[in-house]
Amino acid sequence: MGWLSSSPDDQRSKEIRSGAVAPSRAERARCWEARDGYFACLDKNNITDAIKDEKAAGKACGEQSKVFEKDCAAQWVTYFKKWRVQDIQKRQRIKELEAQGANRLDVQTDFTPRS
Amino acid sequence: MSQPAIRATMNALPRAATRQCLRTMSTASNMAAKRPTTSCLPKSQTQTYQPLVQRRFKYKTVEEAKSRYRSGPFSWKAGMLFLMTGAGLLFYFETEKERMQRKRVAESTKGVGRPKVGGPFKLIDHDGNTVTDEDLKGRYSLVYFGFTHCPDICPEELDKMAIMFDQVEEKLPGVLAPVFVTCDPARDGPKELKEYLAEFHPKFIGLTGTYDEIKAMCKAYRVYFSTPTEVKPGQDYLVDHSIYFYLMDPEGDFVEALGRQHSPEQASKIIVDHMKEWKGPLKKTA
Repeated sequence: MGWLSSSPDDQRSKEIRSGAVAPSRAERARCWEARDGYFACLDKNNITDAIKDEKAAGKACGEQSKVFEKDCAAQWVTYFKKWRVQDIQKRQRIKELEAQGANRLDVQTDFTPRS
Repeated sequence: MSQPAIRATMNALPRAATRQCLRTMSTASNMAAKRPTTSCLPKSQTQTYQPLVQRRFKYKTVEEAKSRYRSGPFSWKAGMLFLMTGAGLLFYFETEKERMQRKRVAESTKGVGRPKVGGPFKLIDHDGNTVTDEDLKGRYSLVYFGFTHCPDICPEELDKMAIMFDQVEEKLPGVLAPVFVTCDPARDGPKELKEYLAEFHPKFIGLTGTYDEIKAMCKAYRVYFSTPTEVKPGQDYLVDHSIYFYLMDPEGDFVEALGRQHSPEQASKIIVDHMKEWKGPLKKTA
């Protein structure tokens, strides 16, 4: 192989990263694993927003970040980072509310008319 | 009755036995009165000719009679009968209540002035064949909207859908059509859908179409989606969309929406319960 062309594997992961093809089940699992590794590192370093605190995140979890970026589509990386911020905020809010003595309600989400 | 037992009873209640004889003589309508000669002989005590009075002496021993006296009119048999009747009634009312609830849910979208979910559509399936709402009629269908580039929720929900579908198939085979409609027609053609869905369940039906067809489909099912209209080549994007399973009945009417709050077991039970109550014709497939 010449230096300009790349192996089929590289080609495939490049296509996944750019969003040209949808990842298969195995590829999705690999991405999720990389994501969990990256998030675990962020948790350990107390970083909530990996987009805002890019520098701190890059310094503390550079290695995990590289794997994350390699195994997931670029769009997914941004999505998961944003999702994490929201998820942390949601958990915090629930904790605050529960501390104030709020009761958890099971919200009805179907279209059944209430009697 | 054995001989010692009779003796014990007679010894214990001699006066009652006398009264018994006298009553027999005076009751003309009684069957035993037709044979008065034998009715008062001690030997004939074994015969069951006086149901009313004899009920009081059905105990074989004095102890038994005493214990009967202590416990009053309650016995374990009466208690059991009471409990069983109560449990039976409770069960009946509960199941009936659930059935009525399901019926109300199913019928709340039928008729005039009801929210209309679903309706006619014309799309192509993962093999490139045209599929319309008419093709889905005759069976229940479970409709889910998503896209193949979905990062986390759709794959999870599709795995759930596969479990649900298998569980329903186990109980009522061939009555449910599992349908996946893409919200991202620009990237999800029949080929992509086929590859994608094969990893979840071989029987999943993938539907796609033009942007406008999908938009109309989403509108009919009240599905919100955020697919960009104009996509530049090579541009990656995610689609925000509603994540409900829509259960549609064999006439194409919306029955119930199943969401993230339902476990696959709960969801398949809801589906099977609705199916069992379907009175109309069904077109089963293998």
